[in-house]
Amino acid sequence: MIPLLSFDRVWKRFRIGDTHDSLRDLIPGLAKTLLRKGAGESSAKHKRVFWALRDVSFEVGPGEVLGIIGPNGAGKSTTLKILNRIMDPTAGAVRAEGKIGSLIEVSAGFHPDLTGRQNIYLQGAIMGMRKSEVEQKFDEIVDFAGTVEFLDTPVKRYSSGMNARLGFAIAAHLEPDILIIDEVLSVGDAAFQQKAFERIKQMATGGAPVVLVSHQLDRISELCSKAILLDRGAIRTSGTPVHCINTYLNSLTEDSDSAHPGAVIRYERTFAPDGAVVDSGGQLTLVVSGYAEATNAPSTWSPALRIVEADSRSEVHTITGLQRGVPLPVSGAFEYHFSLQMNVPAGRYTAFPIVWDAAGQRDPITGPSVHIEVVEGKAFFGPVQLNTEWRVIQNAAVRASAPARQRA
Amino acid sequence: MDGLAPPPSLLTPRRKTSLAKIIAELWESRELVEQFMLRDITIRYHQAIMGFAWALMMPLLIVGAGLVFRVVLSTLADTPIQGASIAGLAVKAVPWAFFAGGLSTATQSLLAQANLIGKVYFTRESIPIASVLAQAPDLVVSLVVVLIALPIVGVPMHLTTLWGLALLTLLILFTMGWALLLSCANLFFRDVKYILQIALNFGVFATPVFFEPQMLGQKGAAIMLALPLSPFIQGMDVAVVQGRNLLDRVVLNTPNGEVVVWAPWMLAYAIAVSLTLLTTGLIVFRRTSGKFAEMA
Repeated sequence: MIPLLSFDRVWKRFRIGDTHDSLRDLIPGLAKTLLRKGAGESSAKHKRVFWALRDVSFEVGPGEVLGIIGPNGAGKSTTLKILNRIMDPTAGAVRAEGKIGSLIEVSAGFHPDLTGRQNIYLQGAIMGMRKSEVEQKFDEIVDFAGTVEFLDTPVKRYSSGMNARLGFAIAAHLEPDILIIDEVLSVGDAAFQQKAFERIKQMATGGAPVVLVSHQLDRISELCSKAILLDRGAIRTSGTPVHCINTYLNSLTEDSDSAHPGAVIRYERTFAPDGAVVDSGGQLTLVVSGYAEATNAPSTWSPALRIVEADSRSEVHTITGLQRGVPLPVSGAFEYHFSLQMNVPAGRYTAFPIVWDAAGQRDPITGPSVHIEVVEGKAFFGPVQLNTEWRVIQNAAVRASAPARQRA
Repeated sequence: MDGLAPPPSLLTPRRKTSLAKIIAELWESRELVEQFMLRDITIRYHQAIMGFAWALMMPLLIVGAGLVFRVVLSTLADTPIQGASIAGLAVKAVPWAFFAGGLSTATQSLLAQANLIGKVYFTRESIPIASVLAQAPDLVVSLVVVLIALPIVGVPMHLTTLWGLALLTLLILFTMGWALLLSCANLFFRDVKYILQIALNFGVFATPVFFEPQMLGQKGAAIMLALPLSPFIQGMDVAVVQGRNLLDRVVLNTPNGEVVVWAPWMLAYAIAVSLTLLTTGLIVFRRTSGKFAEMA
């Protein structure tokens, strides 16, 4: 397969501070630099640089959807800007053949004083559409945005939702060879968001290579065929979306663990040995491994497993050792095997072990999480009933370093 | 990890695009240029209460200022003002108003749309070019008004007016060249627009807008006419008001001796400076455009 889109060892450097944006500053600045050189100092030392991207490589072939995830400042936006030709890379080669359509800042070109109609032509042209193309799709665009009655109203009188809907509707009617999507998934109200998401899905599966950046991890796992996890400008891991998402979620909890210096047990890994994708109503196995270090835990503490909706983080189910008669481990390595019947609607969930403090009604310790996808299975009715089985292996060989066996 | 740097062999070479490719891309983006132009025109005339009368404001102000200047001069020198020289003032105000107005708005155009530049990719040249072209309706309106007014004040219409139209076309290219250079310069150095305003204030005296070259004597006229903008302004007077063929040499007998007020080389000069500036503008703009998003 020929990659239509590729990053080959791309680096991007930004300079911080000591830049001039007026001639008035430049001239004394140059004089200073010359003097410094005279004093034997290198001016380069005074320029601070920041590598926003470090040796990033990936390929996206036709029909592939690449998801890019990572914390803020990881280099996601810089990657998209370089793909979009808004910025040049400092080093490395970028290949992007054909017309690039980007669902980024979909109403950036709007002029507040122009009417909706005028702005459709303007924004369409900015996004690379021909006038004839806009004319041909005009009714569809207006219909999609649902702003027919405001066509001849200046967009400055539009609500921010209407503005975004109109912008998205224009972008959604591009016919690009390469599609780049950044966080537009949260446009307008819930109904429009659903509509927008369906449209993106339709565009993303149209055969063109797609790059998608989002903080909505469930969207990544639903849309993408592969993913990369960026961290401080470098690729931390790549592979299936579920693998990248889990690595990302684990990295988040690693950081928060150190915030509990008095932790009596440490959860080290959470994983789904038989795969993290399960039919609704199907059986899911989760393994949590960890290490207990102290014996003086408060008697009100017990181990627990919590499942939340990936998107809303709202709690679906918590199984506590208190209910099941499983005490907090005393010392050494331990492993919990959970067998859950996923009697929950299709969707994306996150599971993570916690230590539950019944007295304080809080979680003093949170372990690494695993991302679970529940796909449409047998018909699901009624309240959640997970029919959990819980097996405890004391002094188990530490499985923390065992390789992940995950399937997407 | 912060100390890491890419091996030098990986460094991306500077953006280099051939002139032909830039022009082809611009042609591809002609509908975008049209949309930007329409936007600029709509906004300008929408906001101005006077509408299209606005197009006449700048030339009228220049003519007014020029008249005051001439009256003062003629009173001091005790020579009467000729009708033809007032007509010449009006004709020369047309290209000057276009150049000064177009360049002022175009210089700020890129920075004004920095937000868009940092977010969406499109052929960046279209912004300053559309900004200059958006002044074209003003140019046409003021030109038509002047051409209608000339016979009324006693200056007959000459066939050589067509030379004037050719010069105005070249002037548009000349202004675009400057606009490309100054709009990107203004992105990197935000005080370029102030410097431009000062330069324009001097320019109105340095080029033959208010002065006629013969007022400066032989040497003064030669220097004034050697300025790159002068052929466009002087040529309008010579062709439209005086009705002379621009392929001829025009020499005036003055008390200070013979003064050359037009020579055929000035036509070649006008063509050469406008094409050189446009080419340089397009290349410099493209070379620096990779840095726009970081400056914006």
